[in-house]
Amino acid sequence: MTINFNAFSFARLTLRSQGIECVNVDRELRDGMTIQDFIDELGFEAGEIEAVFLNGTIRPKSTVLHDGDRVALLPPGTPGSYRLILGIKAMNDQETSPE
Amino acid sequence: MADKIYRVRMNDLSFSVEDVPKEWLGLGGRGLTSTIVAAEVDPECHPLGPNNKMVFAPGLLSGTAAANSGRTSLGAKSPLTGGIKESNSGGTSAGIMAKLGVKALIIEGLPEEDDTFYHIHVTKEHVTIEPIPELVGKENFEVLDTMLERYGRKVAVFSIGTPGEQRMLISNISVKDPQGKIRSLGRGGLGAVMGSKKIKVITVDAGDSKETYLADAATFRAANKAFTKALKENPISGEGLPAFGTDILVNIINEAGGLPSMNFRYGTSENAEELSGEHVAENIQERGGKTTHGCHAGCVIQCSQVYNDKDGNYVTSGFEYEMIWAFGANYGIDDIDTIAHIDHIMDDIGVDAIETGVTFGVAAEGGMLPFGDGEAVIKILTEEIPNGTPTGRVIGSGAGNVGKLYGVVRVPVVKNQGMPAYEPRAIKGQGITYVTTPMGADHTAGYAVATNILNSGGHIDPLKKEGQVELSRNLQIASAAIDSTGMCIFVAFPALDDPACLPALIDMINARFGAELTGDDVTNLGKNILKLEHAFNLKAGLGKADDRIPEFMKYETLPPHDAIWDFTNEEIDAFWDF
Repeated sequence: MTINFNAFSFARLTLRSQGIECVNVDRELRDGMTIQDFIDELGFEAGEIEAVFLNGTIRPKSTVLHDGDRVALLPPGTPGSYRLILGIKAMNDQETSPE
Repeated sequence: MADKIYRVRMNDLSFSVEDVPKEWLGLGGRGLTSTIVAAEVDPECHPLGPNNKMVFAPGLLSGTAAANSGRTSLGAKSPLTGGIKESNSGGTSAGIMAKLGVKALIIEGLPEEDDTFYHIHVTKEHVTIEPIPELVGKENFEVLDTMLERYGRKVAVFSIGTPGEQRMLISNISVKDPQGKIRSLGRGGLGAVMGSKKIKVITVDAGDSKETYLADAATFRAANKAFTKALKENPISGEGLPAFGTDILVNIINEAGGLPSMNFRYGTSENAEELSGEHVAENIQERGGKTTHGCHAGCVIQCSQVYNDKDGNYVTSGFEYEMIWAFGANYGIDDIDTIAHIDHIMDDIGVDAIETGVTFGVAAEGGMLPFGDGEAVIKILTEEIPNGTPTGRVIGSGAGNVGKLYGVVRVPVVKNQGMPAYEPRAIKGQGITYVTTPMGADHTAGYAVATNILNSGGHIDPLKKEGQVELSRNLQIASAAIDSTGMCIFVAFPALDDPACLPALIDMINARFGAELTGDDVTNLGKNILKLEHAFNLKAGLGKADDRIPEFMKYETLPPHDAIWDFTNEEIDAFWDF
């Protein structure tokens, strides 16, 4: 499958330093991959990506990707109350809290 | 010596230095300006007439070593909204006023001579009010440089440019920053109030005064250390903002489908990458600017920056997300350097970046000029507005009025104030803040987070109504409280993750004044300020019908999420149930 992909702020710097294009690029992924699989494939470690936009909304990293999806990776550092208002913090808390 | 109220009467060009009434002693910043405006200004007065007052106040911790404590608040009745207004800014004025022992500077009345502009100079227990004909018709940088030459670099300077002189509703008040550049008391057309009082420039010279005594210096130092640590170690205030500034939000808000574009027709912009904080940071690094820059002494966040042109020459500082959005996404200019140039011009003439950008969006919608025409904007800002031509006065009247003049339906204002860079249909919590805040559409009214009243349960979906009214209420209460401390509102960001952050701030206030405030006291302060401001607006004639979103947002869906404004009036009005 092919997804469209963006990385923002520090995530962009990290990927560019490895020569990985990450501004509005198409990328081939294996069918059935989740957002977390994709993050792992790019080499990010836990905590480096706080939240992920999937087709314009913050979605759990366990979400399975599909052909034509638009994905944007967001590292920690979103200012304003927007980290709260956009649901970034709540999703991150949910995903990182011990069961 | 205790702090004093400095009062200037423009009607007879006199002044007095007064004791602080007991009920004002524990207040600063917005808490004090709104209290004084509510107590002394007739809500029904004409904002540009003799009965409006300007109240300048440093925060509770301004003038101390507290990190990020250098915001100055200005309160008045707004000629743009017709309601109460508090606008605050960085710069050097808060620290200087606090060191001089100025709890508040109140300016009232109108001078009898209508053709004279004045310079107010505040020193220890003294104020001079003198005509300054040589600076009439000059813009802010020239006024600022003239004052610095006359008094030295340690003087605080508030000034207006030609739009303020002409009482235009987009005008603001400039405040000198530590580098001798300009920050702004931006919103609500308060430059017009200063112009109506015929004041071109205010300077405050603290001399050798150091009136900011600490009741418990050791506790203060320890609390400030903990507070500074919380700010520096947080990924937002310690890393993200210093590296990319507030403009990092362009790509994020665009991705969320909440970046208002082409006068609030779309939720994403084709120009997002050009406008983005990542791109601005790249340009700064290539051209020898600075990604970090503090708007006031003691700032440890340094979200501002110095932006140079392609040849490495200084263009502007304080190049913020909202300004870049207003001219890039909302009005459609696709070149970041043109936008930086416009930012510099707006600093110089003294107009609010948000109101002016939203006005150009509405003007383009009405056919007055094309979308995205940077040269047309520059011509209006540098020729039409300073000369007060009919075109200049039309743009100078703000988005709501231009919408009426051109028969435009899509006019993104609440209480006649232009909406900032967050689409209320796609970011609904922000929309509730726009409609309910006593300030008119204002993003900073709901910017801070007080964890002790935050309902952290459950996921907030920005596209859905659930939980948004409560969230906005909590953010607005916290913001009103932080605005009263004189702290930059960005100090609230670490509070989301670090439980030590806000208690350290309260410890500093207690150590400064020998008080015993708790977290609940501070949130109650925020609640009281909001209610006081709301009561003023009700008396001024701004009722429930003014707490509403522009109608087009209720029937036009916003791409890409096809979002719509779907709150009932009852749901909105429940905001005030506290």
